[in-house]
Amino acid sequence: MYSLEIENLTVAFERFTMNATVNIRKGCITGLIGRNGAGKSTLIKTIMRQQDASAGHILYDGKPFKGNEVEILNKIACVFDAPHFNVALKPKRLFKLYKSIYPQFDAELYEKLMQKFQLPSDIRVNKFSFGMQRKYCLILALCQKPEILILDEPTSGIDPYDRGNVVELIQEFMMDENHTVLFSTHITEDLDKIADYIVIMQNGKITLNEEKETICENYRLVQCAELTEELKKYALGVQKSMFGYTFLTKNKDISGEGLQIKVPTVEELFIHTLGENKQSEPFEDL
Amino acid sequence: MHIALSYQSGQPIYEQIKYQIRAQILSGELEAGTMLPSIRMLAKELKIGIITAKRAYDDLSAEGFLYSVQGKGVFVAEVKKDDLTAYKLEKIKDMFEEITKYAQEHGVDKETLTNIFKQILGE
Repeated sequence: MYSLEIENLTVAFERFTMNATVNIRKGCITGLIGRNGAGKSTLIKTIMRQQDASAGHILYDGKPFKGNEVEILNKIACVFDAPHFNVALKPKRLFKLYKSIYPQFDAELYEKLMQKFQLPSDIRVNKFSFGMQRKYCLILALCQKPEILILDEPTSGIDPYDRGNVVELIQEFMMDENHTVLFSTHITEDLDKIADYIVIMQNGKITLNEEKETICENYRLVQCAELTEELKKYALGVQKSMFGYTFLTKNKDISGEGLQIKVPTVEELFIHTLGENKQSEPFEDL
Repeated sequence: MHIALSYQSGQPIYEQIKYQIRAQILSGELEAGTMLPSIRMLAKELKIGIITAKRAYDDLSAEGFLYSVQGKGVFVAEVKKDDLTAYKLEKIKDMFEEITKYAQEHGVDKETLTNIFKQILGE
């Protein structure tokens, strides 16, 4: 079951073209990762109809946007990379505004979260710090009571303590098995932990979409002092330091004297597959 | 039920959960019939993926340690004596594997390792 079915979605700018095909599973948390400029925000904006696509289509819970606009917009909420409302307003006003726009807006939850994150209601949002603005956007999105929650870098600019709170909110949201979360990130550790699926985006294209645990388990991260000819056969994304080499391998049975072997984290997988080294192979190989 | 996860150990998270729950069932700490938190609750409390939590429960159910009742939840199953024996043997195997790995890393060959063990067994 998919919450979002995205096929051949194309957005062309002067210097950048996105062409994405990806399905987002219902009831799961999907982490969208990629370097700056890979197209993560463009993809999110296109899903949220803030950006027009020149080709391709999106199905929301199996339905096209056209003809189901109200239903879909009530079902989906997003925290964009920057606030999508008038930041000169105070939360007090925005609360009333949102309540009038979204019939199911949860006023009780709003109060609870404003207290939890200690956000003031009588200060203009543009006077908030960056992190406070991010948290406020998340509160507004959650209180819309969506089924699909999309977050563009939800934890960027937020201190570690509140990052934990954000992760907790996402997981609380996921207690309902009809809910779906798609978030983009530069892989902060806490988000890396809670994701069920990992989607990697590179140069406007989706280069990987798999269950997190499976992809990590299919690889080993190896550290060694010498990169022998034998090891070179298996090594992907080799990185050299003063003290030795670190590389990724698909050979799960790799062993040998002096080798430190472990299952890589998503971050390690990501870094080593994007390594500058010529020995690293492109993503098609994943 | 207590679960402590380590992200440094290199052991997959679902396995850590599996081992810890299983150990508590085998030790009697978790009694047969005890209701466990739902998959989503487990994921939330441990700050892990839902699929990871599901995998731990699925494996434990397949091994007969847990059973689920549709619409009610996941419960601890009655443990057979055979399982207890198998579990202990598996644990011993794990320990041997660790020793073997240590020996390999430190250049101790198989023969020396075998001799050490024979010595311990008094052969």
